[in-house]
Amino acid sequence: MLKTTVVCFLASYCCAFACELIQLKWRRALGRILALVFGAAGLVAQTFYLLQRSSVAQLPPLLSSDHDWLLVLAWVAVLVYLFVSLTDGESGIGLLMWPVILVLVISAQFVTSSTRLELDYHRRWGILHASMLVLGTAGVLLGFVLSLLYLWQHRRLKRRETLSGPLKLPNLELTERLNRWAILTAVPLLTFGVASGFGLSIFAKNGEVPAIWTDPVVIGSGITWLLMGGLFVWLLTQKRSPGRQVALLTAWSCGFLLVMLVGLQVLTSAIGIRHGTPASVPLEKRGQS
Amino acid sequence: MNLLVLYCTHQTTPLAIRERLAFASPEQLTAAYSKLNERFPDTELVVLSTCNRVELYVARPTDADPLTPPLLAQFLSEFHGVPLDEFVGELRAATGAEAVRHLYEVISSLDSMVLGEPQIVNQVREAYRVAEKHGGCGPIIHTLFQGAIRTSSRVRTETRLAEGKVSIASVAVGDFAKSIFDHFADKVVLVIGAGEMAEETLRYLKDEGVRDIVVVNRSLDRAQRIATEWGGRAVPWSQLNDCLGAADVIVSTTGADKPIVDAGLFKRVRAADSRRTTFILDLGAPRDFASDVGKLDNVFLYDIDCLKKTCEENRKARVGEIDRARQIVDEETARFVSEFYRRASGDVVSRLMQDWHGVSKDELDRLFHKLPHLDEKDREQIERTVERIVNKLLHPPLEALKDEAREGTPHGLINALKRLFGLQD
Repeated sequence: MLKTTVVCFLASYCCAFACELIQLKWRRALGRILALVFGAAGLVAQTFYLLQRSSVAQLPPLLSSDHDWLLVLAWVAVLVYLFVSLTDGESGIGLLMWPVILVLVISAQFVTSSTRLELDYHRRWGILHASMLVLGTAGVLLGFVLSLLYLWQHRRLKRRETLSGPLKLPNLELTERLNRWAILTAVPLLTFGVASGFGLSIFAKNGEVPAIWTDPVVIGSGITWLLMGGLFVWLLTQKRSPGRQVALLTAWSCGFLLVMLVGLQVLTSAIGIRHGTPASVPLEKRGQS
Repeated sequence: MNLLVLYCTHQTTPLAIRERLAFASPEQLTAAYSKLNERFPDTELVVLSTCNRVELYVARPTDADPLTPPLLAQFLSEFHGVPLDEFVGELRAATGAEAVRHLYEVISSLDSMVLGEPQIVNQVREAYRVAEKHGGCGPIIHTLFQGAIRTSSRVRTETRLAEGKVSIASVAVGDFAKSIFDHFADKVVLVIGAGEMAEETLRYLKDEGVRDIVVVNRSLDRAQRIATEWGGRAVPWSQLNDCLGAADVIVSTTGADKPIVDAGLFKRVRAADSRRTTFILDLGAPRDFASDVGKLDNVFLYDIDCLKKTCEENRKARVGEIDRARQIVDEETARFVSEFYRRASGDVVSRLMQDWHGVSKDELDRLFHKLPHLDEKDREQIERTVERIVNKLLHPPLEALKDEAREGTPHGLINALKRLFGLQD
């Protein structure tokens, strides 16, 4: 299999972001194509990287480590970016999506890359738990980007400004609708992810899997999940939701959730608190065994 | 090149004359083509008649007598029943490459009242289609108009001449209303007053799919007239507040001397549905909506001044693209002219090549007959060598012909080649 490193796709993503930035001033078809090509090339490289690590760990990428989990999240975000850019090349989503993707990829370098052996024993539940969480978080991430796009467009319209250069932003009505759907989809997924996580922790009490109740990442995620749940209920109970208020709430809560997830993982790794279990082993060693 | 265009446009001729020379209806155009075909047989012709221009393009084979501007002016005078001396001084004419350049500039909207406006492309296409329907098109007109369509497409994709809207109504709808709403079919549009600009805005909104139009005016009759014209309903002035509360898009153009709606009133009338997003286009001067209405949540208020500013910025951006657009027009004109003359000399080229290759083939047959021991491979080698020799010998005269054709039909060189190589007519 092709040997790739994080630098390969990180460089591609940086180039794609640069192309998006350049298009702010000089919007040409070539710039758009280059952004897509760099994005797609990075995605391919990242796919190889994740598969490579997965084959060494003998676990799906979602389960192998926090490092891989963040990279899977970034991978989903790139996929969403490519889809949106191919369907609407002038949406301006790349300008907000790439910084988030880059932060995820860079953060992945600072979190543990040790595998979680314990999940090997409950592989199906583990995959379900991690997939729900990653998809839910991707929805949150999308909601975050959409709400920023909404606020950007709202500010422009209130100030009666024309967009500098040929960049176009999606209209408020569409952004609001997509944002609403992103949250309404993400929260149930996150809920399922959190619930399955609790299920796994109950096994821990039986002595099969170590407990996660004291894990700061889990506690932080739980708090933000409650926040998102509140937003979800509020959205469902509104007859006509005021767009700017929804966008502001979404931007804050989603931003908080992302910062919490990524920040806590980086922090716990930095100060040596293992998010996971003592049974975790570095991937390199696992590969040798 | 036997090509002529006779025209009068908004830049050269007052509207009072243009409208008398216009071919306003399809029936009039049909009659015009019929008379033109009758009067000028064996002539390719296209009539382009819009509110800003009347143009006649005529083309004939190179060896035919050229048509002159007075002949076409006489036709216009007789067809429309307008005395020649009333408009002849307003007409302009261009021939050959200049006529080509004129058409390419027209279709690229470089000659339009609003630089970069898109309607002219369809108008030229339609004129070409109608001409074809009436048998007005031949090889020259086909090449000319297909080149024109290509030129306009290049100008629109390779420059930013058509980017950004330049009329107040189009900026209001295209740049702002469409940035707020995704679709308009389910939106309620309220028109307050009955100004011309409101109607223009309605046209753009209709294009976006607006169905529910409510017109409120102090004169119910005028409201009814506009409502009927645009498929809406007229409502008495006394119900204005109810309508304000239910509208998604408000276009206001009353002649009031002070604002008719302030933030307090607007909040009250929308109390039942304060979260409704509303786009207000205030085209009144003085303004119909107090500026504090725009500070309310979910209300986007635009007045004429802020829209004018956007129009002006877009106009300036377009002007900056004129040079690049003219460069494309020049390239395409040169391409047409070169292609035209190349075709004119193409006949001589093909006959010359045919003759020389014919001679070489006869000689080779004779040689192979004398040398029967040659196998297939040897024959093939000899044939290829002779073919290369012929091509190399023909190359200099053909290149010279091609060079000359860039400037015009190379009659002298063509005659010389015909005499030197014994090419029969």
